[in-house]
Amino acid sequence: MEIFRVGHDAWGRQVLEGVSWDLLPLAAGVGLLVIVGHAIYRLIRRKPGE
Amino acid sequence: MASSADAMGAVPSGAVSPGTTLPEDRIQRHAGVDRLFHWLTAASVITLMATALLPILGVRFDWTPIHWVTGLVLTALVVFHLLRSMAWRKLRSIWFSAGELRGTNVGKYSVAQKLMHHAMTLMVLSAVVTGLLMLKKIKTPLMTRDPYVFGFDTWGVIYVIHGLAALAAVTLVIIHVYFALIPENRMYLRAMIRGWITRQDQRARLAENAWLDKKTP
Repeated sequence: MEIFRVGHDAWGRQVLEGVSWDLLPLAAGVGLLVIVGHAIYRLIRRKPGE
Repeated sequence: MASSADAMGAVPSGAVSPGTTLPEDRIQRHAGVDRLFHWLTAASVITLMATALLPILGVRFDWTPIHWVTGLVLTALVVFHLLRSMAWRKLRSIWFSAGELRGTNVGKYSVAQKLMHHAMTLMVLSAVVTGLLMLKKIKTPLMTRDPYVFGFDTWGVIYVIHGLAALAAVTLVIIHVYFALIPENRMYLRAMIRGWITRQDQRARLAENAWLDKKTP
């Protein structure tokens, strides 16, 4: 997985173009991971009868 | 649940408007202007994310004008919030107190809520500052286009920061919406829509705090 997008200038040198959009699923995944982690924490912490 | 004051028609239920007296069992949490700021910011961030990310996901449309105009709206909202926070509120109150970090004291906002605020602040400020610089790369009626104002390397860094802010926005919006919707936080969602929380909610929060207090040596 690439972290950066890299292009070339008129002289053929590598130039930084931004972050790689391959990271988009990772960003969403981190959010979903927090949700799953918190949901598990809620289940464990739940008092009997709640 | 409607209060007895509501039932008598003394106070309209629903949003808190200026000059409205709240029923005794309610406490105002967010002023109307703060709620308006929150929802306008939310709409701006969602629009910016949609116009930035949908083309990457293959949805083709002329996204640039919508994106930069919404970006300017977000900039105006950020400036408004900064001025309001500095002029009418204590900036110190948005930082963490020692008691909060030990879990022995809960103010208006919890540590988690403050963490979310600061993460959103960092994300929005990074996006706004780099976005304003990126306006020099496109044709707008506001300024003369000059993509040579920075070198390739500098533009690269600006684009990386803007992209990281976009990725952070995805993560933070998912987390923010989840925590706004879970049942134990429903009172905060209602407060952000209608402005108030009940005294019962407030007491429950303080009771939880007292429980934390006992657990802390």
